[in-house]
Amino acid sequence: MKYSDISNRRVDQRLKRRQRAERRYRLYGQVAITLALLFLLMFFASIITRAVPAFYYHRVNLTLELSPKVFAGRQGEPLPRKITERQAKSLMEDAIALELGALAQRERLRRALIAPLAALELKQLLEKEAEVRHRLGDRLLLPFVLNSAGENCIRNACANSAEVDDFGLSEGQRQALSILHKRGLITRHFNLVFFTHSDSRSSESAGILGALLGSFWALLIAFLLAFPLGLFTAIHLQEFAPRNRLTYLIEVAIYNLAAVPSIVFGLLGLAIFLNWWHLPRSAPLVGGMVLALMTLPTIVVASRNALAAVAGGIRSAGLALGASRVQVVFHHVLPSAMPGILTGTIIGMAQALGETAPLLMIGMVAFIAQAPLSPLEPATALPVQIFIWADHPDPAFSSRSAAAILVMLVFLIVMNSLAVILRRSFERSG
Amino acid sequence: MDSLMDFFAPFLRINTRCISLWRTSSERVAIAFLIVFGTLLLPALLSVEEVSARERIRIVGSSTVFPFATVVAERFALAKGLAPPIVESTGTGGGIKLFCSGASSSRPDIVNASSRITPSQLQLCIKNGVNEVVEVAIGYDGIVIAQARESKQMGLTLRQLYLALAKQVPSASDGFMANPYHKWSDIDSSLPPIVIEVMGPPPTSGTRIAFNENVMDIGARSFPRLAALRRSDKSAFKKAVYALREDGAYIDSGENDNLIVQKLRRNPKALGIFGFSFLDKNRSILRGLKIENISPEFANIADGSYPIARSLYFYINAMHDDKISNLLDYANTFFGDEAISEDGFLIDEGLIPLPDAELKRVRYSISSMRTISAADLK
Amino acid sequence: MAFVTSVFVFSALAGLVVYLHTFARSRSFLRIDSYSFPNASMLVGFGAALLVAVTLLGIPSLLSPLASSVVRSPLVVVALCALVGACAVFIFVRYAPRNFPAHKMVEISARAILFLSSTVAVATTIAIVVSLLFETLRFLEDVPLFDFLFGLHWSPQTALFEDEVGSSGAFGAVPVILGTLLITFIAIAVAVPIGLFAAIYLSEFAKSSTRSIVKPLLEILSGIPTVVYGFFAALVLAPTIRVFGEAIGLQVASESALAAGLVMGVMLIPFISSLSDDALKAVPRDLRDASLALGATQGETIAKVVLPAAFPGVLAGVLLAFSRAIGETMIVVMAAGLAAKLTFNPLAAPTTITVQIVTLLVGDQEFDSSKTLSAFALGMLLFCITLIINASALFATRRYGARYE
Repeated sequence: MKYSDISNRRVDQRLKRRQRAERRYRLYGQVAITLALLFLLMFFASIITRAVPAFYYHRVNLTLELSPKVFAGRQGEPLPRKITERQAKSLMEDAIALELGALAQRERLRRALIAPLAALELKQLLEKEAEVRHRLGDRLLLPFVLNSAGENCIRNACANSAEVDDFGLSEGQRQALSILHKRGLITRHFNLVFFTHSDSRSSESAGILGALLGSFWALLIAFLLAFPLGLFTAIHLQEFAPRNRLTYLIEVAIYNLAAVPSIVFGLLGLAIFLNWWHLPRSAPLVGGMVLALMTLPTIVVASRNALAAVAGGIRSAGLALGASRVQVVFHHVLPSAMPGILTGTIIGMAQALGETAPLLMIGMVAFIAQAPLSPLEPATALPVQIFIWADHPDPAFSSRSAAAILVMLVFLIVMNSLAVILRRSFERSG
Repeated sequence: MDSLMDFFAPFLRINTRCISLWRTSSERVAIAFLIVFGTLLLPALLSVEEVSARERIRIVGSSTVFPFATVVAERFALAKGLAPPIVESTGTGGGIKLFCSGASSSRPDIVNASSRITPSQLQLCIKNGVNEVVEVAIGYDGIVIAQARESKQMGLTLRQLYLALAKQVPSASDGFMANPYHKWSDIDSSLPPIVIEVMGPPPTSGTRIAFNENVMDIGARSFPRLAALRRSDKSAFKKAVYALREDGAYIDSGENDNLIVQKLRRNPKALGIFGFSFLDKNRSILRGLKIENISPEFANIADGSYPIARSLYFYINAMHDDKISNLLDYANTFFGDEAISEDGFLIDEGLIPLPDAELKRVRYSISSMRTISAADLK
Repeated sequence: MAFVTSVFVFSALAGLVVYLHTFARSRSFLRIDSYSFPNASMLVGFGAALLVAVTLLGIPSLLSPLASSVVRSPLVVVALCALVGACAVFIFVRYAPRNFPAHKMVEISARAILFLSSTVAVATTIAIVVSLLFETLRFLEDVPLFDFLFGLHWSPQTALFEDEVGSSGAFGAVPVILGTLLITFIAIAVAVPIGLFAAIYLSEFAKSSTRSIVKPLLEILSGIPTVVYGFFAALVLAPTIRVFGEAIGLQVASESALAAGLVMGVMLIPFISSLSDDALKAVPRDLRDASLALGATQGETIAKVVLPAAFPGVLAGVLLAFSRAIGETMIVVMAAGLAAKLTFNPLAAPTTITVQIVTLLVGDQEFDSSKTLSAFALGMLLFCITLIINASALFATRRYGARYE
């Protein structure tokens, strides 16, 4: 056998090994990417499946009779102006008894199945329409929202299951629910309350309005503070600053701020804004100020890049025509750089929307059942609301948490797309 | 400079380039501006606190009273058409500290407490100018030891609880030793061989104080030596007996009782300590342990047979004149028919109401704004 | 609020006055000074209004409370600011000499404002350091530094009042630091392989069509807020891990470090991926071409030539990811535990620095107990650690990088 044959064989073997190694390297990369994308898929799938239950709710339609006995009056008389909640409750209980007879008495169905605030709302409704519409003895068909135990039961077909988990309801109560369901009295509706109400103790009336407004105020304040400051800092650093130690210090400070953990900003807000300056606690004003400090580095860097990307010819032309430095920058360079600056700002705002840790430190975790009408009123923010609801043992609240996450993700997608569109148009025309 | 930028760029998710340009000379003007306006601006900024609106009622305090306070707050707002009070769950200790920190209207108006205000706390209030404090007892609450429904049923006595949770237990000789019990079965062979893991409130919580007084205190007294110590030197007894273990068997779980409920659901081997209302609301997930063979039910707590029960309170700062009528309305909402009748919303939440005689007294003290003094707390 | 409204109102009024008056004086618009004149008048008016607002808000502490509240009421502040501002503008426009160097005034003021804005960043950094340092020093008055940094027992829940009995007040931070490191290591162990290999594949092997789809998807991972990751970790991943672990017989805590670490790792994947991508791109083409010319396959080129060359950059990326993971709050607050344990077991439930900071500061808002001050001490510790890691990342690149230029 010739030496060349043996060495060719060896070469062949090595070549095959190397080719296998080559395939392995490719495989590693593909596996890595697949893992990452798999996580993304799992993530969205689980959030969406958890969120969907929050977007609808069930109501039971009952025929209420404004019986004269309850109001101590006579048939045909107008409804009294003031109704007590107890009377409203009796009306509801009578309506249930009308449908279900003896079962209703035994199982205290109103308490078990209907939302706690329904009686109060019925009372207010009847008082509002008292003289205008109703007389004693009238019959009204009104919808009543189910409470979370009832909701749970309906969604999981609990009456039919033989499981031990009774959803907190007794056998009879579950039976009653399934009877009502069979008679078609339980209808499903889109949960608009989620978008029109603020936080509440009962999951049926809990919504994100307060959190949305709080986030809006906080982002507005953050924008109003960070945008001018960031822009001016960038203009200074890019166009006017001399290369001295002070400038170096400023640049180092900005990049340090970018790397500081968000919770440290929360500590700063607590120590200075709340404890030293005594600004109102839990107010979006303070939240906005802290978020502004966090977004500052993003806006500065984006603006610097945008300004640097403007062709030098514009500056030279402006100066040659006799404009002052300030005029050149503000009248010529800045407008050209605006799309890039706005892109960076929008990205910064999108990051600020998702920040939770600093807001926790400045107290936006209270139970606030009303939407804030100004940045000085106590409020909560969307990510904080998600945090508060996530740990609630009632699954209705954790699904509302997931729904709030979806809302927030929608906002983020919109903002990021806006930034991308701006950037594309900037690149095309710039 | 460029490399600095390049390395922090990842945090900013934007590509970087950098050009530096010419010199300026405006720093002097800027610094002069800063000096002139800084000296004027600082006092202006320091006085911002008076500017914002202050009509909202602010309530802080116990996490046990929180569910009741928030339900009442919501109803009060709906009924009167006012902005709902802001309720923060800070824990009894932290809340009283805030409440007693000053009489100005920016301080909380009401503090919820799951244990009665102590003389030293009232002292702090008076020291800081909060002289008029109206005490309102809301009702009773039981402290339950709960476990997940799937776990094996357990019943405990107060003595067993003391031995499981105390930092120091009586040793064979005359002193104390560090708590050696690792599993429940180490204390008593009839108990299951599960590692002791109990989640409960921090030391500033009213629930913890009530737990100490009703469980640790009485459990320790089952040892004659400790009962004698209690008679002779009460504060030494408290120091020895009220300290809970810090080796991980007792886990301080903050003031968020909902979180404890969630953790119990995920961890069937642990126990949790919180107020009865949290058990009541989560019957489908939790079970309350029988203590001294009495199960934590409404009836048992109401008639006093369940051994761990305490009163719930809130305290009103009567010096906040501009809000006082709203504060009294809020207080009265707790005792209306809709709240504490048989199917009232507070009963639904798990509150055990006061008996009639007590109720009359409390209603009277609200309407007359009777302030408490150190003498009342004896 | 009042201050801002007053500034807006006055600006509108001042603008009106300037506009009218400029026309009345019929200056030529070609001269630079007249072009800058309206700006100069705005500056004058703004300065005057600022002075008024500041005096109105600051001085009344000297007057009686009644006068003080009248003087400070929003209506009075807005009206006075607007009035004084407009008057200042009017007087300036009417009586300033014709050769008033408006241009110079605008130039210098503009640059002064720009310079001042850029000092805010410095002021903020100083403020962070000072506020943390101040509280940390107060904390260190009670607890010696050695005990804090090297103590093995973390039990900060002390009592607030004398007649309460609390924990012993041990402030040894080692268990907390250890817990942080445990979760961080798990996160890095997940993020680095996946991120690095993904970056390699995307930059070297993938077709451009694949790249254009996969890269944005990875970007999405980086855009998800951390509270959402925390939700996923606490409500989906942790129970799954626990059930799985118990099925194969392991004792898994319901808030295992594994759950929090895994999710944090996923959060860091795009971070490491984009940094590695940059590092790989920075390796000059010559090296790759030379290696391929000598007969190496693409994979061998990457493994033996490109990666070692890009190593400092990748290392810096890993360090930066490390510091990001240490400072991460929401994922661990929702998915990690509260008990400070000395453990290396990823199935246990350790606590981290950020979780302790959040737990200690919720509720007690007065900073006079060791409990709340310890949170600031932890914050200072966190700040220092991240600073050191970031500086070493920078140092690593400077020292060992760019040898191929």
